Amino acid sequence: MDLETREENGVVIFELKGEVDLETSPELRKALLEHVNVGRSVVVGMAEVAYIDSSGIASLVEAYQTGRRTKTGFVLADISDSAMRVLQLARLDKVFTIHDTITAGVAELSA
Amino acid sequence: MKILHNDSTSADDLLENLNDQLNLLAHMAAEFASTLDVDETLLKALHHITDLMKAEGGAVFLLDEATQIITCVACYGATEITGLKLKNGQGIVGACVINNKGALVRDVHNDANFYSAVDDQTGFETRSILCAPLSVKKGCVGAIELVNKRNPNDLFNETDLKILETLASSAALAVMNARMSQGLVEQERLKRELELASEIQRRFLPDDSTAEDAKLPISGINKAARGVSGDFFDYFRLPDGRIYFGLGDVSGKGINASLLMAKTASLFRCLGKTVRDPGRLLGMINAELCETSAHGMFVTMVAGIYDPRPGCEGLIRLANAGHEPVLLYRDGEFETFGADGPPLGIVPPFPGEEGNYDEVRIFPNHGALYIYTDGLTEGYTETGVPLEDVGVKNILLSMADHTLKEQLNELVRRVSQEHRPLRDDVTVLALSDSQRLHDDVGGKPAEIEDYNSEELDGDWLVDFKFPAQPSWMKMARAFVRQACVEVCCDEAVINDVVLALDEACQNVIRHAYGGPSDEEIELSVRSRPGRLVFRLRDFAVPVEPHKIKPRDLDDVRPGGLGTHLIQEVMDEVHYLRPAHGEGNLLRLVKNIKIK
Repeated sequence: MDLETREENGVVIFELKGEVDLETSPELRKALLEHVNVGRSVVVGMAEVAYIDSSGIASLVEAYQTGRRTKTGFVLADISDSAMRVLQLARLDKVFTIHDTITAGVAELSA
Repeated sequence: MKILHNDSTSADDLLENLNDQLNLLAHMAAEFASTLDVDETLLKALHHITDLMKAEGGAVFLLDEATQIITCVACYGATEITGLKLKNGQGIVGACVINNKGALVRDVHNDANFYSAVDDQTGFETRSILCAPLSVKKGCVGAIELVNKRNPNDLFNETDLKILETLASSAALAVMNARMSQGLVEQERLKRELELASEIQRRFLPDDSTAEDAKLPISGINKAARGVSGDFFDYFRLPDGRIYFGLGDVSGKGINASLLMAKTASLFRCLGKTVRDPGRLLGMINAELCETSAHGMFVTMVAGIYDPRPGCEGLIRLANAGHEPVLLYRDGEFETFGADGPPLGIVPPFPGEEGNYDEVRIFPNHGALYIYTDGLTEGYTETGVPLEDVGVKNILLSMADHTLKEQLNELVRRVSQEHRPLRDDVTVLALSDSQRLHDDVGGKPAEIEDYNSEELDGDWLVDFKFPAQPSWMKMARAFVRQACVEVCCDEAVINDVVLALDEACQNVIRHAYGGPSDEEIELSVRSRPGRLVFRLRDFAVPVEPHKIKPRDLDDVRPGGLGTHLIQEVMDEVHYLRPAHGEGNLLRLVKNIKIK
């Protein structure tokens, strides 16, 4: 798993890549919560996620729920087919806010 | 007194001489009576006697009862003949010993018994000999011999013979005393060594006076017919909470049996810590004993693992190598479990095979299991008849409400008669399932997998065993993917299946093992036309299937998704108990379009 972070218009952008599984997801969880806990908006770009399991999904869910509590935005963007398949199986594709591109996600959150 | 006939001696000399002789007699009698170092005392006495009798030389001979050889053990003056051996009856000494009668030979050349070989070899000239037997109650143990008066003109006389005979009898007594005390010392030493051996043996057995062992729902007694025992029992708790137990009976009794017992008991305890299958454990001990055991000795043995953990229903896995049937008391009735294979140490495993013993699975349902050696069933009761199995059962029935320890004490008491030694070593081990909490009601336990189902599931694709660690998941996924790629061409299906297996492994790590663990997960993949069959096996506490539920998806929260994903992807999901051994087995089936 690879996690690149940058910032645009006050929004934190994560580019998540590679395989997110039981071994690597704790790192993702920690990085996401660090920002949403202090009220910063987050976009997670998932174009290059080759694999994600329920523990990776759980990290996204936890960040999403924390974001709702702290009234900060948390959106997913540009999701790879394999990651989208898992979100669909988990019936979470309708729960998350999902944008086609990172730019669209940033636009929503910085509006 | 005859001694007065000697013309060349004055009256004063005679008196003084007599006084010396009496003093020597008194002194030597005291010395012989108090000594245990008989060789040293004999040599010292010989000096005094030879000097007193004014002889040129003296020797003490002892007879070996077993070989009938007479050996010179002490020698003084004249020629050195220590170690000289004569046949009983040979020479003047031999005649003296065999007839148990003293000899006064004034001129040896006129005596047909004289054995001249020594003189021939040494050049010493023997003129006259005085010889007295070392007489004891049972006969003669040797002789004291004196040669030549120092004054060439003097001859030994009857008085000399009488004195020598008197001295010889107290010397004989000393020899006997020393021999007897040597025997006693040896007996005492053997007894002490036996006590030490027996003490060391007792330490092989679990000590239920320690707090740790006393807490276990298991108890045993071992009572040796002799100092040491050829039986043993042992039990210990495995790190996961299960209890390993074993009981063995070595053929024969005594020291040789107890040594083989020590070896078998050590193998059991040492191997049991890592080999958590009783049938396999007995197979390994058998192979080891076949390789190294003394010919003709063998061990009958029972080994088992009891699982008192919640949800495990007190499962007992039991293997029996040629031992007496094991007795189970359950729901008011007795059931027996006989031997599944020959005793250990007789039939080596076939080359290339492990030679595992079969296991039986017993659900004791809060009853108790009793394992004993034939020393109990064949032991004599008060009325002189053997206790037999029926006697054992009757005692247990009448004491059903008593503690294990009380039951065992009573069983052993019945075959221990005060004035009669035990017929054989008696060993009893009992395990009670009564302390185990009732498992949660409401859910049925997992079904036990059909023995043949794995073969029926089809052709081999993958067998992979790995530690229950997150870092191994990537490798596990790669194996599943590889298996799928061989028979299935739909990439989307492959991705789903890989995800489902990954989720199943995660459930094992998190829920069965309670977190990352060095315990193992076994993955196998088999193929049949139109479907893939996956088995995921763990070695953890059995999980009740009704507790494994997918979560309600409307309740959005992290975690709890895995089971749902598995059910979503797979066509069949079965939570089973493995046909062999402990743990859980998840069988997953995915219908596929084949290539």
